[in-house]
Amino acid sequence: MSEEKKRAITRLKTMYPLRALVDGMYERAVEASREGKPVAWCMVNWWGGDVILRALDVACVYPEDYGAVCAAFGAAQSYLARCDSDGFPTHMCGYARNCLGYASQMKELGKIPPGAPLVGMPKPTLLLGSGYFCDTRFKWFQALGRYLDAPMWVLEMPHPGVRESRLEGVHDHNIAFLVNELKEFADFLQELLDKRIDWDKLDDLVNDTIEMNRVWHEVNELRKARPCPMHARDFWSSMPASLYMAADPKETAELYHNMYDEVKGMIDNHIGAVADEKYRMAFAELPPWHSLKFFDQLAERNWNFVIESWAYHPPKPIDLSHVKDPLERIARLTYQYFSGYFEDAYKTGDWWGYFAHPYLELCRDYQCDGIVLHPLLTCRTATNHLMVLQDQLMKHLKIPSLVVEGDIVDLKLFDPADALRKAESFEETMNHYKRVRREAGMAW
Amino acid sequence: MTLAVREGLDRVRELNRNRSQRVRELKTRNQKVIGYFNIYPPLEMLTALDLVPYGMLGDMNEPITKADTYLPTVVCPFLRSLLDLGLKGRYSFLDGIVMAHGCEVGEKISHIWNIYLNPPYSHFIDLPHTTHAAAQEQFKELLKDFKKTLESFTGKEMTEKRLREAIKLHNEQRALVKELYELRKLDPPLISGSDTTRVLIAITGLPVEEGNELLAQVISEIKRRKDTPSKKSARLLVWGSIIDNTALIDMIEGIGANVVMDDTNLGSRAYFPLVELTEDPLDGLAHRYLVELKSPRTFRPPFIQNKKKDYMADLRNRFSYLGEYAREWRVNGVVLQVIRYCDSHSYEVPGLRDYLNSIGLPNIYLEHDYSAAALAQLKTRTQAFLEIIG
Repeated sequence: MSEEKKRAITRLKTMYPLRALVDGMYERAVEASREGKPVAWCMVNWWGGDVILRALDVACVYPEDYGAVCAAFGAAQSYLARCDSDGFPTHMCGYARNCLGYASQMKELGKIPPGAPLVGMPKPTLLLGSGYFCDTRFKWFQALGRYLDAPMWVLEMPHPGVRESRLEGVHDHNIAFLVNELKEFADFLQELLDKRIDWDKLDDLVNDTIEMNRVWHEVNELRKARPCPMHARDFWSSMPASLYMAADPKETAELYHNMYDEVKGMIDNHIGAVADEKYRMAFAELPPWHSLKFFDQLAERNWNFVIESWAYHPPKPIDLSHVKDPLERIARLTYQYFSGYFEDAYKTGDWWGYFAHPYLELCRDYQCDGIVLHPLLTCRTATNHLMVLQDQLMKHLKIPSLVVEGDIVDLKLFDPADALRKAESFEETMNHYKRVRREAGMAW
Repeated sequence: MTLAVREGLDRVRELNRNRSQRVRELKTRNQKVIGYFNIYPPLEMLTALDLVPYGMLGDMNEPITKADTYLPTVVCPFLRSLLDLGLKGRYSFLDGIVMAHGCEVGEKISHIWNIYLNPPYSHFIDLPHTTHAAAQEQFKELLKDFKKTLESFTGKEMTEKRLREAIKLHNEQRALVKELYELRKLDPPLISGSDTTRVLIAITGLPVEEGNELLAQVISEIKRRKDTPSKKSARLLVWGSIIDNTALIDMIEGIGANVVMDDTNLGSRAYFPLVELTEDPLDGLAHRYLVELKSPRTFRPPFIQNKKKDYMADLRNRFSYLGEYAREWRVNGVVLQVIRYCDSHSYEVPGLRDYLNSIGLPNIYLEHDYSAAALAQLKTRTQAFLEIIG
């Protein structure tokens, strides 16, 4: 009997319950829909909208996540084709095209399309878009009006990771903006659903959300260890539980606690996610969900992906116990997410825009040897800062970049064989810059 | 005739050849020039402090050779062109730039501009994306922040009186542009789409008073002149991404159509709404720039009180002004043109086509990559469209 081939990446056992929690989100929403309960399709909204919806017992699903699910299940191509045939330009966001194609099929059939991954997304009662990060995250939902009769809200958020956000008074009016916006959203929901918010429940949800994110942050802090015990693949499998608030945040926090214990145990026993960790890597931004085995092939070359974009990470912990109003508390948590990763930039005045700058701190703290940049051919948000990032990481930290073009959903746009060939030769570049950094007195 | 005495359309042509000519002259007299590149920075606030607003445009005829070092190719080629020109020194005469969150890529370019071009003054306005009450309050606060940095940069106080005077001047310009557009309602129109574009390109490179003077000259000249465009069966409205070059309009007008109306960022969209002179002038500015400017980048919640969304009612709420334009300008076809990778406009296309079809307006969608060479491919499709509408 041949010995079973050892996997190149040691996956965390505690990741699986978190992934199941996210997958279960779709089952819970379909069940809610069957029972006549309200269902929301939501963009990632950094918890403010999520807690209000949960306080009103609205089941939520997240079409951004479902785009990744469809890509991973190999089901996206038919939805993309449907979207294209409905007249939407093909250069639009892969997640959006996937969802528009899905909704188009659902409208035609009058039910969840057969073969939809997991159990599919049920017809929504409302849509929650977002004004943060990219235009697509509300234009896409607006375009869904062609197929769905659900009313829509766009949750507003400021972009404070810029110099202007440090002007006197800006912090306060940004917080007021977030709070007022949440109040308007709460009013909208109460009228739409003809139901009052249970404020005690909301208060608990906010506290649990803060705790969930705190624990999740602590898990990722552990990844600074050498060898790094947790690979980006486990991060990507676990992040939706927080980012999309897939379930009750208290339950999620417990699972992150379990993950913390497992990761800590691996550190204590000097176990890395990749055997003989040779290259500590960062990844920007979203991965090719349809081709994640690509990372196993890199792991066979002893590449360990130890950190990813801040944008998918929880906010750095902040004490909000003194803030009584739950809406203000959640607004301040959201604002911490938007601004907490820019402390270096605030101190130095060295601005690269709100997306790119935090990589400087992350790549330094996680002692990265290189970064893989993944320009997405259909996503401006995850792409338009990458060239600046490449330039600035080299300038400040002598960290080289490998550019591998692809897409989050459309597998035709990604060539793993070519990427692997590039990766092989990139190792020489990383070896060179390791020497350069050491000569410059850097720690790694 | 010397350069200094050129007037009307002659002056327009001259400024199209050398847009920065006038502001460079003004700089020799210590006037400061501030660039902007979408329709959202309130220019009145610059004028109120004697700063000259300068509309930054791309260049379809200049190959992009430097911007790709800092910006991927899968983003709006107009914005790539703009950054490219900046990196090549085309805008080195500017004393600063003001940027607003008109679109996501535009916002990123604002930051990239600061890193690599480091202008003496820059300010980014984080324009909200909705017309919610909270967003309107926030936008007013953001305008107060903008006022502070402008005052700090100029060392002058932006009094309410100066701001009101500036608002009046800019409203006057908007009224003059509207008057110019009225001349296109006639059949044949008194001014072509291409010439209209040239006029608008010219005035975005002038101080507002001079722009107003030029517009008055142009309107008077057009009313007097005999060589009007010829009558054509197709009277088109062009909608979509910014048009800062006459190449696309030239192509359309060269194959048997008159472009009599537009809804683009250099055209009617930027000028038609006026600023109301409110007790606090910032209220009027905030309302005009966030609520009154109709662009795909701003979400207008139409039916908050309704529990079900009515798709056609939503489309009417978003696009009925285009139906009104079509009636007033006697439009019988619409060209939807989108610069590739312009997400805000791309998402609108099927919905807008549904609306236009519902009111019986033939339409065509053209996607282009902001290069004159690529327009040849679109010519055949446009010709076929013109045959359909007769």
